[in-house]
Amino acid sequence: MRANKICAVLGNIQRYNALLPLTNERPLATLPFACKYRLIDFPLSSIVNANINTVYMIFNEGETQSVFDHIGGGKEWNLDGVHNRFFIHLYQDFLKLKAHNQSYYRPLIDYLEKSKSEYTVYMSSKMICNIDLRAVLKIHQQQNNEMTVVYKKVESEKICQTDAVLSLTDNGQITEVRPYMEHLQTSEQENLCMDIYIVQTDWLIRELKEGQQEGTPADIQDFLRKKIHTVKSSTYEHTGYLSNIFDINSYYNASLDMLNQQKFSSLLYSNQKIYTKLKNEVPTYYSESSEVNNSQFATGCIIEGKVEGSSISRGTVIDKGTEIIDSIIMPSAKICAGARVQNAILDKEVVVDPGVQIIGTRENPVVIEKYQHVTNDILANGVAVGDIER
Amino acid sequence: MILAGGKGSRLGKLTKNIAKPAVPFGGRYRIIDFTLSNCANSGIKNVGVVTQYQPLALNNHVDNGTSWGLDGINSGVTILQPYAGSEGGKWFEGTAHAIYQNIAYIDEMNPEYLLVLSGDHIYKMDYEEMLETHKANEASLTVAVLEVPEKEASRFGIMNTDENDRIIEFEEKPENPKSNLASMGIYIFDWSRLREVLLSSYSKDDHMLDFGKHVIPSYLEGGENVFVYRFAGYWKDVGTIDSLWEANMEFINPEMNLDIRDKSWRVYSRNTISPPNFLTDTASVTDSLIVDGCYVAGQIENSILSNDVQVKEGSKITDSFIMPGASIGRDVTIHRAIIGEGAVVGDNTVIDGTEEVGVVGYSEVIGVTMDEG
Repeated sequence: MRANKICAVLGNIQRYNALLPLTNERPLATLPFACKYRLIDFPLSSIVNANINTVYMIFNEGETQSVFDHIGGGKEWNLDGVHNRFFIHLYQDFLKLKAHNQSYYRPLIDYLEKSKSEYTVYMSSKMICNIDLRAVLKIHQQQNNEMTVVYKKVESEKICQTDAVLSLTDNGQITEVRPYMEHLQTSEQENLCMDIYIVQTDWLIRELKEGQQEGTPADIQDFLRKKIHTVKSSTYEHTGYLSNIFDINSYYNASLDMLNQQKFSSLLYSNQKIYTKLKNEVPTYYSESSEVNNSQFATGCIIEGKVEGSSISRGTVIDKGTEIIDSIIMPSAKICAGARVQNAILDKEVVVDPGVQIIGTRENPVVIEKYQHVTNDILANGVAVGDIER
Repeated sequence: MILAGGKGSRLGKLTKNIAKPAVPFGGRYRIIDFTLSNCANSGIKNVGVVTQYQPLALNNHVDNGTSWGLDGINSGVTILQPYAGSEGGKWFEGTAHAIYQNIAYIDEMNPEYLLVLSGDHIYKMDYEEMLETHKANEASLTVAVLEVPEKEASRFGIMNTDENDRIIEFEEKPENPKSNLASMGIYIFDWSRLREVLLSSYSKDDHMLDFGKHVIPSYLEGGENVFVYRFAGYWKDVGTIDSLWEANMEFINPEMNLDIRDKSWRVYSRNTISPPNFLTDTASVTDSLIVDGCYVAGQIENSILSNDVQVKEGSKITDSFIMPGASIGRDVTIHRAIIGEGAVVGDNTVIDGTEEVGVVGYSEVIGVTMDEG
């Protein structure tokens, strides 16, 4: 495929309060996932794997520190070459222009025009998947419509209120786009709109120019969603793995999904690699006292305790006599001797004192914030002290 | 200048298609990483890597030095290979000859001092400290030495010194060693002097091919100021199967004095991208090192699994070093062995290295029966 045939826009401005405190100091896009990745690695990898050489990313003001830390010069995604570039723009700058009645899509329109690309793909970091955008483009070209929408059939509990759901005819024609509302739920499975769109670039530029006269939303994702029904759109059904991240439970479940070999392989061992920031870490050491089962580990850890059904990120130290069960441990945690962590999510650099118990439930995992030093037992609602085996 | 052109024939099939410095080590490293990381950590900015024998993997690995942070504005790694000049082409015939052939590269840097290293040792060393000693002694040549047990001294080049650490005599593999200071093959030269010595030697007929055999003796005879720099710390020559296996086994222990977890002196390597390592329900892992991309369903004891190694259910690996990409089938037993990169070990195979460390070569396929039809 010619290198500048498609350009990409990656939107990362949606906030989900149900993910707090995990998204206190970071956007959803840089939430750690599967020991060594961040959510943004998935759309970014799908984009570069499709030989797309320019990406325009939109973030909220004040949320870019972890983004720059992670993406750096873009080298790991091969976005630092002579022909390969990425741009970062703040959503609030669109809003400011809009408030001053100026042409608020102008920065994006400039980008699209300069890219000289025929097609534009839009993605976000909320839908974790490894998608072959070239296959989507092929369908888009065959159908010859202005827009192609990617969706997946999912169980209704995997959809959140702000998601859009598509009603389709048998041959994939969109008959309705509606916000998802639990009380109106009609079937077990819904066609979740994954907010991945391929559009004709010149059409998009035209629509943006017209739209900013009429006050259409500054949020591009919102803008595109509203277009689905107003133009001729085709659909593409994603059949691979998908996790929709919008609250603690969806994040926890998606993380535990990675311990299922089939799902793990579908996401991370497909023919398209997932790229992430490289770290120069030492191999993970499992001591004589370690007891590990059905778990995943990044490098740089020292494991001396028992780990079961858990995902352990880079640089974690797990002392002797500890038990880590069904838990997600983000980078550089230190779990001291005799501690027990079950059904919990530990954010970066958490320290758990000796003998401390952190116990949640499958439906209600305990979340420990970044940098916390846990000195006393923490039990989720519904867990009684008597339930804990000492 | 890192001399990485040696054939490493004592490593047998492990160096059949790959230069010794490029042989994998410790799970996610290659042997040359230790020397390159020492250079980066010592603040050396320009490194020439002299390659000759089977250089493909080595050149790919070293690349432009970016993995060691040696690709900055005023720094760089240059791969130096034998070339044909107007006077004809020439293989590097010895350590000193390799330097002589690359005078043009060194002149371009115009350095005051030249550090000569070999790319096949496992150790951490601050070369700047050695340079300080060299300067303080106003030496023309400083040779790094290590105290070795006296009964092993006859395997090394031994430096006999006076009370000021000045080298009085050099003996290559002496039968009756007079001291236990073994040369580590690490030299600091005053470049202008070495340049003169080499040029004058090659303009006549007494070609100086080797530092140990020719240059050091000639320096001593010429009355040059030659000193030792005493190094104390972990140092391992991994030139044989046994020593490579042994060094890897020592590497497992997190308490070992190489201290690879020291963040102030990191050992860098070329990073490849692989998913996290996955240990299944049936896995049991003790006293071992495992890195990214591994899939483990078997039992691992006191062993190293490098990148992207797969060990299926029912297999047991003890006291072994498994190189990247190797695939171990079901119900395999491996004890005291080195399994080469990309090797495939079929179901039910037994590799027992109790007598002599077992070796499976790169991409070698063993114990796999082909189904007919």
